[in-house]
Amino acid sequence: MPLAWRRVIAIPVAGLVLGLAWNAWSGRGLALAGNAFVREGDAIEEIEVQEARARMEKGALVLDARPRDFYDMSHVPGALPLPEDDFDRAFASIEDRLRSHFDIIVYCSGYGCEASHIVARKLAGQRIRAAVLHEGWPAWTDAGYPVKEGPQP
Amino acid sequence: MDGRRLPGEGGPAAVTWLRHPLLHRAAAIGLGAVFLYASLQKIAQPADFARIVYHYQVIGPSARLGYVPANVLAVALPWTEAVAGLLLIAGVWRREAAAVVSLLLVTFLVAVGSALYRGIDIENCGCFTVEGAGRQAGLWLLVGDAALLAVGIFLAAAPTRPNPMRVETPEGALTAPLGHE
Repeated sequence: MPLAWRRVIAIPVAGLVLGLAWNAWSGRGLALAGNAFVREGDAIEEIEVQEARARMEKGALVLDARPRDFYDMSHVPGALPLPEDDFDRAFASIEDRLRSHFDIIVYCSGYGCEASHIVARKLAGQRIRAAVLHEGWPAWTDAGYPVKEGPQP
Repeated sequence: MDGRRLPGEGGPAAVTWLRHPLLHRAAAIGLGAVFLYASLQKIAQPADFARIVYHYQVIGPSARLGYVPANVLAVALPWTEAVAGLLLIAGVWRREAAAVVSLLLVTFLVAVGSALYRGIDIENCGCFTVEGAGRQAGLWLLVGDAALLAVGIFLAAAPTRPNPMRVETPEGALTAPLGHE
């Protein structure tokens, strides 16, 4: 006996309709066009790569939230490592510099990467404001901007 | 059930056993319970689940796709799991619900496999919990999903009324009791 394909299609369609309805009316929904890495209550500014470059030229400090190995391979020139997975130690070593800058930009590995938002949130907890570079490292390299290899900023 | 077997009923014993309606019902309830349970926290915390979908980097977000496909998937997938799970438990549209669950498991296998292949480290696979560090998306997850997939395909492929055979006797038609739930 063959499967009733209309039923097979009806089940995910029902899932989609129920899901969209729940999302709209349950009060727990998310903005369908929004970035779920930005959480409720976050005051995190997301900026595009051109703006990040312009701000850097005016002296903005850039932070690399990726694991340290990635930073050592290559990073935005002048960026300091502040890996999300080793935040406390790295933060302590550069806290003075962070507190002396008024414009700070954090980046990580791009769309699937949450580290830059987490670091920006942790910095906000230290009363340090930081913007997140939208699309992160891939945006920087895709734009053809220079990169620096090795562990030095 | 062997005592009820009619003369001339074909197939090795294992096949007959695998066609037992009670086995199908039990397997469907088990599989349905897994999927219903898996849907609950995702439904309760859609934003947490959306972040996990992002980590996989299979359906975005990306420059080309934007955020909408990943968010819609995060909203629709848990409810599809819930609906299919409930149908399996209730025994309604059982084979079709099993087919949907099998398709879901195939997409999970592809998503986890591709994440492993690309070296994406996913701390929480988003299988049952969406908060904090859940189960790692690793090789064992592939094994578990494959096992569930085997159950799903078994339920989807097997006829609901296996072998409704009628045997003509001088007293009239006999119907094999195995064929009916």
